[in-house]
Amino acid sequence: MKKINAIVVLALMVTAGCSSQRAVTSPEVRQSQVTPPPPPPSPVTKVPSGPVTPMVPAAPSGYGFDQWQTGPLGDVFFDFDSTVLGSAAQEQLNQNAAWLEKNALSKARIEGHCDSRGTSEYNLALGERRASTAKEYLVRLGVASSRLETISFGEERPFDSGQGENAWAKNRRAHFVMQK
Amino acid sequence: MQFFKHVVAVVIIFLCCRICFPLNLLAVEGGEYIAIRKEGIGKIALVLNKLATPAKEEPNISKRLDVIIHDGLDFTGLFTLISPPLNVKDSSNSENVAINFSALDSVGAAVYAGGTVTNTAGNITLDVEVFDISGAKLLLRKTYKGKSQQLRTIGYAFCEDLVELFTGKKSVFGSKIVFVSNKTGFKEIYQCDFDGHGVEQLTNLHSIALTPALSPDGKFLAYTDFSSGQPALSIRDLSTGKTLAVDKRGVSIDPAWRDNKEVATTFSFEGDQEIYLVKTNGAISRRLTYSKGIDLSPSFSPDGNKMAYVSSRNGQPQIFIQDLQSGQTSRLTFSGRYNTQPSWSPAGDKIAYTTWESGDEINIFVIGSDGSGLMQLTQKSGENESPAWSPDGRMLVFASNRHGMKKLYIMESTGQNQRPLLQLEGEQYQPCWSLFRE
Repeated sequence: MKKINAIVVLALMVTAGCSSQRAVTSPEVRQSQVTPPPPPPSPVTKVPSGPVTPMVPAAPSGYGFDQWQTGPLGDVFFDFDSTVLGSAAQEQLNQNAAWLEKNALSKARIEGHCDSRGTSEYNLALGERRASTAKEYLVRLGVASSRLETISFGEERPFDSGQGENAWAKNRRAHFVMQK
Repeated sequence: MQFFKHVVAVVIIFLCCRICFPLNLLAVEGGEYIAIRKEGIGKIALVLNKLATPAKEEPNISKRLDVIIHDGLDFTGLFTLISPPLNVKDSSNSENVAINFSALDSVGAAVYAGGTVTNTAGNITLDVEVFDISGAKLLLRKTYKGKSQQLRTIGYAFCEDLVELFTGKKSVFGSKIVFVSNKTGFKEIYQCDFDGHGVEQLTNLHSIALTPALSPDGKFLAYTDFSSGQPALSIRDLSTGKTLAVDKRGVSIDPAWRDNKEVATTFSFEGDQEIYLVKTNGAISRRLTYSKGIDLSPSFSPDGNKMAYVSSRNGQPQIFIQDLQSGQTSRLTFSGRYNTQPSWSPAGDKIAYTTWESGDEINIFVIGSDGSGLMQLTQKSGENESPAWSPDGRMLVFASNRHGMKKLYIMESTGQNQRPLLQLEGEQYQPCWSLFRE
């Protein structure tokens, strides 16, 4: 599945022309960095250094959209036990930020979800970090923090109840739900 | 806070090995107990004679009580129950029926227990006698009373006395297990007796309720509840039924009691996920962790001075121990890449936890609180999770999907005798075993 992910990422990078964006550093690397304590909320994700060229898709389709996400904001997916936003996830968030900019009154809830592997308490924590990572990325792109709320469902509300990497990959996501 | 960033590779912690847990205070009078077993090996060979009942009364009560006592003693794993020989009573003297100790001795029994039960208009009286067979010595004579609906309580009261007689310690009788089940389609908190009897639904929130934890005195139940829209800490006073929802921005995950007054849980209202101590009125008394990354699943040493917990400060989750007075933290687990769900034993010397192995296997391990004596208790049986100690430390309850759906199982603290705890529809998870109630 990693290979497939890589292919998807590569394809998106080529089609979206965002190869200049660099991937977010891994949590292990981040944790080893000695940085002064940042003002809360502490940044979990680094924002791409280059200028962002957001695109609002003509129709909700592609990476962030599937049978469980048919709204205007696409979901983002994560690797196993990871809160790192890959290139495709960042691109989706760029699109989401652009949509939110055009629809300035809209509010969204970001739900963090995990696959069923591992233990449920840890997954509840991991889910929150996925949701807040996505939120912080959007806030750094200029979306008001007050328009985005986060919640973690951990492994409690899987989208695909099946077993195996295909199902698990669908369940490791930050899921956008429009509010009101 | 330097020491939070640098994990000392190996720190020998002189933990609570010598701490006298209150259990010892509960030993039978005089501080001595009856050492019938040969130097710590084997089980006590016990003849449990059928309870006699006055001729006119229905034998039903005595038969049911026989089964309850038999099952209760069997549950402890302390006894070998030997069928009474036919000539167990010497009835040559009809006025005073004597126990035939030589017959008992010849079947290999060390202890004899027998008695009579009477039912007077629904009031049950159980009179029992326990003898050491080799010396024909009376060890215990006691009367238990209760209503006919309380047969199990009556039988277990005798079982508890019998175990205490031979171990000098309180046993599991009277203890409760709280757990989560999705029986109704929602995850709710349930409670049952130590042996799986008497299942009772404690919450009816129609949401997701997780990780129930009973305070040491059994008066409070803490759990995580999604019914407000966020996973929040709830503290229920079990005597009044009143529930306090602790309202904090962000999540609350996996509470555990430090003592009867403070419960610890993970909150994220300050940004990062950290463990805090909360009073039963919902006020935060102290923040305990300061490391970047996930910190969760506290479990306290019996004296409340040390906390085992899960931290992802090094990447994947491992178990750490923090001294709450000095703040000093050391890593406990070095084997396995994903270690979570620590549970500190009631005697203070051990910590049970789970390791997620490669594939879909999660196994329960026990390690000394000083990091020594790692022991694997489950293997090749699917996902085995959420170990929790019995109040006497002899057993663990846990959740396993070894037969498909997740159900509760119990085992001895050595991993032996793994068996289902209860039959209940749906799945069951996250058991917590009460300590002793006074």
